[in-house]
Amino acid sequence: MKRRTKERLGYAALNMGFLLLCLITLVPILYAVNVSFSGEGVTLSGDFSLIPSDPTLENYRTILFDEPFLLWLKNSLLLSAGTMAVAMLCGITAAYACSRWRFPGRRAMLRVLLVLNAFPQVLSLFAYYRILRLSGLLNSHAGLILIYAGSMCVFAIWNMKGYFDTIPIEIEEASKIDGANDAQMIWKIVLPLAKPAIIVTCIMVLITVWNEYLFATTFLLESEYYSLAAGLYQLQSNDYTRSWPLFTAASILASIPLLLIFFKIQKYMVSGLTAGGVKG
Amino acid sequence: MFRRRAKPWCYCAPALILILIIIVFPIAYTGYISLTNMNLYHWQAYEVIGLDNYARALFKLDSGFMSALGTTLLWTVLNMVIQLVFGFLIALGLNAPKLKLRRLYKTLLMVPWAMPAYISILLWRVGMFNTELGLLNKWLTALGFEKIDFLASNGIAFVSCIALNLWMALPFMISTIDGALQSIDRSLYESAQLDGAGFWTQAWKITIPSIRPVVAPAAVMTTFITFKQFDIIYLLTQQRGYMTGATLNTVITYVHQNAFASNNYGLSSAVSMLLFVIIIIFSFLTNRSLREG
Repeated sequence: MKRRTKERLGYAALNMGFLLLCLITLVPILYAVNVSFSGEGVTLSGDFSLIPSDPTLENYRTILFDEPFLLWLKNSLLLSAGTMAVAMLCGITAAYACSRWRFPGRRAMLRVLLVLNAFPQVLSLFAYYRILRLSGLLNSHAGLILIYAGSMCVFAIWNMKGYFDTIPIEIEEASKIDGANDAQMIWKIVLPLAKPAIIVTCIMVLITVWNEYLFATTFLLESEYYSLAAGLYQLQSNDYTRSWPLFTAASILASIPLLLIFFKIQKYMVSGLTAGGVKG
Repeated sequence: MFRRRAKPWCYCAPALILILIIIVFPIAYTGYISLTNMNLYHWQAYEVIGLDNYARALFKLDSGFMSALGTTLLWTVLNMVIQLVFGFLIALGLNAPKLKLRRLYKTLLMVPWAMPAYISILLWRVGMFNTELGLLNKWLTALGFEKIDFLASNGIAFVSCIALNLWMALPFMISTIDGALQSIDRSLYESAQLDGAGFWTQAWKITIPSIRPVVAPAAVMTTFITFKQFDIIYLLTQQRGYMTGATLNTVITYVHQNAFASNNYGLSSAVSMLLFVIIIIFSFLTNRSLREG
């Protein structure tokens, strides 16, 4: 009897602890949601209830229709799609070769790629500026896509190679006997089997592009080319006291797609990240 | 024969060309610039000056590199220790057998991980730390205290950055440790209980050794990410036009500032190369110990 009450008290304390922890975790976001729904002037008052007293959609209307939010969204999607295409094309072919064929230099190449990937990308900013200016790709999406794709390429190769390794080669041999050539075989047999790895890799690319603000604000010079990250960065760096409610609304709109995707694929995230284990 | 030899390399060629342009060239270029005196005064007419930049970074204390390196080490160690301890305790709590709301807690605790990093940082910068709009200061005023500028000086800015980094990074740690905990064989605990082992003995003798193989690689990965963390300190304290007064620098922000704020490209490149070497050595060492451990 006594032991049961003790256990119950313990669980009550544990639940309290977790509720508090969740609250601490969510406070910054709840506060942003609150600000995004409140009208002008509210933000400066001492009021900090988590439910706005006078909810309005004005901030959302302004950000969607008076600011180029939708244009930035389109740019972000374009950049993501372009990066995915380039990174996956390069990544899949290389990963396939490294997984299926034992050729001299293979192990060394894979190792060197990992070492190269250790160079923090922020430090390449200046060199990228030089490359882009030299090739006339400054202020263009193509330049950024190249940079993003190049930086995701090593991750894509390692991640995809790991997955290709788990696909038994017998399946391919069977299709070889049926007379399929390499391209047909990869397209029709291997890629459908590797779908989970492809999806995870694509989503990592999407998240990277969606979150990247530094290169985007440095290399894109006009706001009509901005990605969402660059646009939001710009929004808060011009007089944030005035644009703070707008910024919260934009932040929430920009985060929702990622939150949805994240919780959809969460169970793959841990294994995918550590199995690849190359980024970072 | 030639075709069979060349085929794998043809498959790798697109990736290798891309990597050559986007990863190898910047490293080589940085290495070259690190040997020159390129800076504001020698913008076009820079010349090779040998290893002077390296000597300056390593041996002249006023270059600031050594103190930035110290800050970075402190930053990395503190973050990792707090993350591992808290991550472990929270994950243990989540695995209490009769916790009914486990799924709800887990989902809510993962939200910061899913948020785009720059958005989290910018929301914290204004929504939490700001003196006028920040929630922390609103609470302080409501409780009758003086306002605190959380980003104004090095000490407090460092603590603020750690708090934010924990907020952003703990979910990954919790989720990794939680996953590892669930794969432990329950019968180990039962026999330990029969032997009269208490909670902490069990945690120390069974739980920690069992989760080590899963948690160690994740912890190493997080250590590198923490070491290379740029966004938090940059966005919180040194955005162009919004320098907050803190002169806090980790090595990465130090490189960025030297290049783009003081246009000292030679020194900045030398430090970049030093960092690259440090990271490579460190990853070889950890790789070896992970394999043996």
